[in-house]
Amino acid sequence: MEQNKEMTAQQSLQIISETFNNSRKEILRGSAKYFMLWGTLLTVVSLVIYLLWHLTGKPEWNFLWFAMPVIGYPIAALMGKYSKAMPQNEVSKMLGNVWGVFGVFAITLSIIAIFLVPMRVSLIIVIIMGLAECMSGVLLKNWPIIIGGFLLGVGGAVFAMLVKGEAQLLIFTLGGVLLLVTGLIMKLQYK
Amino acid sequence: MFPKLDPLLHSELRLAVMSILAGVDEADFTYLKKQTGATSGNLSVQIDKLTAVGYITVEKGFKGKMPRTTCKITPTGQDAFNQYVEALKEYISASK
Repeated sequence: MEQNKEMTAQQSLQIISETFNNSRKEILRGSAKYFMLWGTLLTVVSLVIYLLWHLTGKPEWNFLWFAMPVIGYPIAALMGKYSKAMPQNEVSKMLGNVWGVFGVFAITLSIIAIFLVPMRVSLIIVIIMGLAECMSGVLLKNWPIIIGGFLLGVGGAVFAMLVKGEAQLLIFTLGGVLLLVTGLIMKLQYK
Repeated sequence: MFPKLDPLLHSELRLAVMSILAGVDEADFTYLKKQTGATSGNLSVQIDKLTAVGYITVEKGFKGKMPRTTCKITPTGQDAFNQYVEALKEYISASK
């Protein structure tokens, strides 16, 4: 790019628009890897707990859910540290905030359900997870993600009420796959 | 009478740098270099010019053991950029 080339008004506006859009795409493509990380982790952890619960008949395996933040946050921090420095724009910040709030709600409610007040934590978490996914779709202006989040929240709530025991966990496996797909859609959408 | 275009922004590379910084909290030198495709020397010179007029601020620090130069648009720079865009729109609408 030259520093003193004569530009017309149209060329100036084109530079502004192209540079701004390319930067926006790069930032959102960079956010996709976090969706893929948490999606993979959720799919694997939910399947492992499902299998262990199914094979042993012990619901205590649910304590393994706490492995998710223990594994996920250090990996996410390492990914941020070793990847190229990526700035934050309004959308990537909002996405981080939406999922950060989801994480705080999910962990706090799980602790309360285990130690203080028993509640149908799968039902609650699947609803707020669907909501967070739906909000992500709104921020990314992507209808498949909005619809996927809606179906996960509403369908997951119905599923959690109808199904008992370890089978409930399979809705989180589906949620994990949905996060993974969201990451892939972002990679493709912002290519 | 058309508004005068800010000569500091009416330059391809400086305009690209300001367009990137207008959409983010802050961006580091390597990101700006990659997005603009400019050489390090040229980019440094243009960043110095934008810093001198108070359109951006530059902070030098470290990310781990690697040196890191971070650029951020200032409120003055944001105003100048907005005025520049408005002026461009007037030029374009008058030429139609």
